[in-house]
Amino acid sequence: MRELAHRLLAYEAVAGKASEPAESATLRVYENLRGSLVAFAGTAAFQSLALRALTQAKSEVPSLWAAQVAEDGSLQGLGEIEPEVELDRDQAGEYSTGEGGITLIARLLGLLHIFLGGTLTLNLLRNTWPSANFDDRSPENGRES
Amino acid sequence: MSTQEKVTINKLSTGVPGLDEIVGGGLPEFSFNIIAGAPGSGKTTLAHQFVFANASPEHPALYFTVLGESAIKMLRYQQQYTFFDPAKLPGSIRFINLSQVVLEKDLGAVLEAITKEVEKSNPAVVIVDSFRTMVRKPQNDMDLQSFIQRLALFLASWQATTFLIGEYAEDELRDNPVFTVADGLFWLRQTVERNSIVRKLQIVKLRGQDSVPGLHTFRITDAGVQAFSRTFGLTARKRNPPSGRRLCFGIPELDKMLDGGVREGDSVLIAGSSGTGKSVLATQFIAEGVRRGEPGIVAVFEERPEAYAERATSLGLDLETPQKDGKLTILYLRPLDLSVDETMQSILDAVQKIGAKRLVIDSLAGFEMALSPGFRADFRESLYRMIFALTGIGVTILSTVEVDESFTEFPFSTYSISFLTDDIIRLRYVSIDGQLRKIMVVIKMRGGNHAKDIREYEITDKGVVILGKRLTNYQGLISGIPVYEGRIAPEVEPSQEP
Repeated sequence: MRELAHRLLAYEAVAGKASEPAESATLRVYENLRGSLVAFAGTAAFQSLALRALTQAKSEVPSLWAAQVAEDGSLQGLGEIEPEVELDRDQAGEYSTGEGGITLIARLLGLLHIFLGGTLTLNLLRNTWPSANFDDRSPENGRES
Repeated sequence: MSTQEKVTINKLSTGVPGLDEIVGGGLPEFSFNIIAGAPGSGKTTLAHQFVFANASPEHPALYFTVLGESAIKMLRYQQQYTFFDPAKLPGSIRFINLSQVVLEKDLGAVLEAITKEVEKSNPAVVIVDSFRTMVRKPQNDMDLQSFIQRLALFLASWQATTFLIGEYAEDELRDNPVFTVADGLFWLRQTVERNSIVRKLQIVKLRGQDSVPGLHTFRITDAGVQAFSRTFGLTARKRNPPSGRRLCFGIPELDKMLDGGVREGDSVLIAGSSGTGKSVLATQFIAEGVRRGEPGIVAVFEERPEAYAERATSLGLDLETPQKDGKLTILYLRPLDLSVDETMQSILDAVQKIGAKRLVIDSLAGFEMALSPGFRADFRESLYRMIFALTGIGVTILSTVEVDESFTEFPFSTYSISFLTDDIIRLRYVSIDGQLRKIMVVIKMRGGNHAKDIREYEITDKGVVILGKRLTNYQGLISGIPVYEGRIAPEVEPSQEP
């Protein structure tokens, strides 16, 4: 699941650099997921999942302590603590930065996998990132299963 | 286009086995329907089956969820059903949550949200689940009626076939504006009958076509909802005219008593107390059919198919080979909460699969016990529908029934079902010469002549064997305690003419 989270963060990092965004890749991945899931399942359902994912992530990455999920499901307090993903290091498989974001997104994807199963989770991701390539991935382990 | 041309209403498959027959061939395209019932009655599953059966990239479906179950949980459970195809999400089937709009705004905003999504996606199918939660907020009646009418008009104009799903109690059926506007109303019921759950479905209304009236049982399995029509899906089939052909038992003396055998398409009842050989006769009937190239079905309720076949082997009858050859099916039906309609469906499937000409139901008492208690009260009526449907397509049915031995009367059945049968053969014990012996008599053959003889028989390793002489030296044989008359010629040859 971390591998898939890496993929999404890297994808958004590229997209973000092209459009000179003001927010981190983590936040963009999170917001895209929020948009899809709120439309699909409602704000309350997304907020519950996000809260659970953040709680799990906080236990692994203490630097996420300031992050919070608002009532509308948006993520707050991540900007100050979450550095940008370093694309070069990501491609070299040396992820050392953005650990909190990766963990949070991986946890969120993990919960989706638990509740919806692999196929529906991948379908949802494909629908959210239509131009990203997930064909060689499964949300279970990030690799073809 | 001509002035006489009627509009053609296309029918969409419901995706629910058995339901297309009940609704008259399929659901009318562009209709505005409601699925109503208590929680847990199968409303959402039925709607999902309809959606998965009809949604495609060219004809997508929109599934609006409101305040009830979240789509995540709903899909978690629904994907366990075999009809669920995850590849259809979200391309062909899109879930849209309206809970925020419902919570924060009014029905006008809900209609606007639905309108916006429908205009964007141009769906062929629209589901609103649960519609009831949307209208539970205090609204005045005019608003609600106006909202429903506008929604129905809009969705029909956009050529969408719609299902609204709602939790409704029976007493809400009257004077409800929702039901007035709806083209179709599907009511799902779930009741507890002693220790069994009985699920029933009713098409309360369906505009534009002839649905099968009444309550139809349904079951929810891993394949989803399966409905069982009260008419067993045979309404459209013409009844076969009587062929006049006779079906033999393979017991020469008995066949002679029956004027050559029972008529094809008859319902035959073999009645007798325990141990009189009812099942043996039934086995011989089915085995003789197979021998003559007439495939058969045996529905057993009191023993397993292996035991049934083994017992046949001990009578010199091979039921194993025809089973392997597809000429015989032994159905074991005993889950204790069956409806007659479900049993019928199993039998009909088997009949159609092998083209059966003979059917044995062994026994009616076992059949009744296999039914959910709620269905036992309707056993006679159900039996009537079943026999009428099966004999109508030319299947000859032989049922066995156990009757209590009485020395004051001569009952044919404990179910008072002799009116359902064309032919009755009665077996019973008699006390003769210090022995408990067995006698057989043909009570009736509808539309045919039969022997009036009372014949003694034995059960041997070759099955039922009728003994050579007709008993004439006893009075009161059918009482079970005959009186010896002491004639000079105690026994005479059986009568030659039936």
